[in-house]
Amino acid sequence: MRLSLIAALTTTVFAAPALAATPAEVAQTYTDIAAAGYGDSLATAKALQTAVDALIAAPSDETLQAAKDAWIAARVPYQQTEVYRFGNAVVDDWEGRVNAWPLDEGLIDYVDNSYGQSDENPLSTLNVIAHPAFTLSGAEVDASALTPAFISETLHEVDGIEANVASGYHAIEFLLWGQDLNGTGPGAGDRPASDYAQGEDCTNDNCDRRAEYLKAATDLLITDLEYMVAQWEDGGEAREATLADPTAALSAMLTGMGSLSYGELAGERMRLGVMLNDPEEEHDCFSDNTHNSHYYDGLGIRNVYTGSYTRVDGSVVSGPSLSELVAEADSGVDAQLKAELDASVAALGAVKSAAEDGLAYDQMLAVGNAEGEALIMGAVDALVTQTASINRAVTAMGLSAAFEGSDSLDNPSAVFQ
Amino acid sequence: MIRALALSLCLATPALADFPETVRDHILPGYAGLATATQDLADVSAQSCDPQDLRPAYHAAFDAWMGVQHLRFGPVEQGGLGLAIAYWPDPKGSGRRAQMAILTGDADVLEPARFAEQSVAARGLFALERLLYPNAELPADPCPLIRATTADLARIAGVVYAGWEDGYAETLLTAGEAGNTTYLTRPEARQALFTQLATALEFTDDTRLGRPLGSFTRPRPERAEALASGRPLRNILLSLQAQRAMVETLTPDAPHTIAAFDHAIAVGEALDDPLLAGVAEPESRLKVEILQQAIEALRQTVLSELGPELDVGIGFNAADGD
Repeated sequence: MRLSLIAALTTTVFAAPALAATPAEVAQTYTDIAAAGYGDSLATAKALQTAVDALIAAPSDETLQAAKDAWIAARVPYQQTEVYRFGNAVVDDWEGRVNAWPLDEGLIDYVDNSYGQSDENPLSTLNVIAHPAFTLSGAEVDASALTPAFISETLHEVDGIEANVASGYHAIEFLLWGQDLNGTGPGAGDRPASDYAQGEDCTNDNCDRRAEYLKAATDLLITDLEYMVAQWEDGGEAREATLADPTAALSAMLTGMGSLSYGELAGERMRLGVMLNDPEEEHDCFSDNTHNSHYYDGLGIRNVYTGSYTRVDGSVVSGPSLSELVAEADSGVDAQLKAELDASVAALGAVKSAAEDGLAYDQMLAVGNAEGEALIMGAVDALVTQTASINRAVTAMGLSAAFEGSDSLDNPSAVFQ
Repeated sequence: MIRALALSLCLATPALADFPETVRDHILPGYAGLATATQDLADVSAQSCDPQDLRPAYHAAFDAWMGVQHLRFGPVEQGGLGLAIAYWPDPKGSGRRAQMAILTGDADVLEPARFAEQSVAARGLFALERLLYPNAELPADPCPLIRATTADLARIAGVVYAGWEDGYAETLLTAGEAGNTTYLTRPEARQALFTQLATALEFTDDTRLGRPLGSFTRPRPERAEALASGRPLRNILLSLQAQRAMVETLTPDAPHTIAAFDHAIAVGEALDDPLLAGVAEPESRLKVEILQQAIEALRQTVLSELGPELDVGIGFNAADGD
């Protein structure tokens, strides 16, 4: 058996008394940022709820646009919390209710003829809004009332298929924008406000049930976010568990940073889209807001490391940071990781800027779009690069024995052992 | 180059087996075999587009891929080359959609440089499988597309092998030496290889077996890997055998791991169900579940014995997403 020199050195450093941050203080900062991030997610979702109510009460281009603006604003804090997902069982078990993706949107509402039936999902063109009842495995399902309970308990992941996403941000996004039928060309979804008009002005039929669905999905998002806020507030289960075992919390922090950087964001959400040249691989594919979702994911990763989060109202929640602890163990790893996190945020920022200047994320995915591919792959490479340093931080902190990598998903309790 | 490799192998370590042996005895021969098999496949397709003529070479190329598909780092990760060799699973049917558009579209896209830009889902072994084992009559003559696909596969396998031979092998072998910014220490190299093993076993468990198993009330035999060409169980066995061989190059001292591999392979070999179709019936389903349990137990042994033996834990990997 080989003895890791780094681990041995680390132990020595850790044993020495120091004035810098302690794991307990760093875990405290981590929970404070979680409480603030989920709190902001809830507050902005409530603003979305108000805007959705106004849209349903008086559908117009203005009220629809206001709801879309509120949705985009709600994504800003939420995406910064995604880094909490990996390594925290309570978040990972829950997040499929609010941010599941990709989805077969034909489950929910009308879709274009070009959409096609999924080979793997017989309900991919169900259109529950048009069908108050449907048949599943020979049994009749009552869909007459589109309530939060029906969406979460019956329709979400119905038939055991993950693509049957009935709740969360992306279901609401589809109901506000509609399908983006522009492929890798310019333009997002273009649902008319009259899809919510009651009576004769209704377009695309079933406007009453569409409004009922949108209202229920938005209310459900609020309920789900309230649950997560409670988890991280004073006395909340996730907060208490994190503070009770600061060493496990450090593992969870680094697991979240590395898993989101590499397998999830760089791999599943970004590189795969480039390799498939498929606009359906765009994370916020109806709204063309993907550049923002990715950017705020990246920012969230850096927030956890630097122990600082800028809230929606501009105030800052900060405290003793993981960065300080890593620096104490190995200042070289810390300096490199900090620089790499800045570089990935900058690279994701370049994608965001290009999208804001008119090159939408789905256009970047087009076959032969060298500029778009370079932008996306620049961010992918930066995320992959920082993952190696996150891995080194795990080793430098002597956490490798407790660290279970992807096992945190299958067996989250392993991280807290 | 060969001499340089040999030299670093001699100096690298006094151990009987360690990561330099993995590079020399497992990785490089594996990718060389893939390059040869895919070139053979391209050569056969240049002569004939008859599926009957092509299927043996297709299987040989797929077999060669199973010898290295557990290695998801290094050159295969550059530009998504690994995905372009084998894109599976494909739950949204991207491959069929993109491939049919190419089949019925502008023939200029089949020109090698343009074809290399097409969606990875429309290329590689699984795309070729759809042409050699079509489930319905194809809307156009597939011959030009078969030739473009096999030539592209051979090209990619050549690029990957060259990537190892001319650079990445050295990167791994010089782990911990001055100037190596990829692997700052030798344990980092061991950790990279260990992570491939643990992740690949998880993939076999969750995806190769988990997808067709579905749930007891909703089994999904149609979701087995490479079902049309009859390879679901074969891929699992070849993958286990390749990973067992890799462990033997990494360390001479992981007896429980080797025994767990042997057990899982024996369970798989005794399973008289090449398509895993038995997942749909309770009695035969149980046998597939027993194989899955053997692989889960194997993975636990890898984590509990091989990890400490190599003195590394699992690192971040490409499968961390959901």
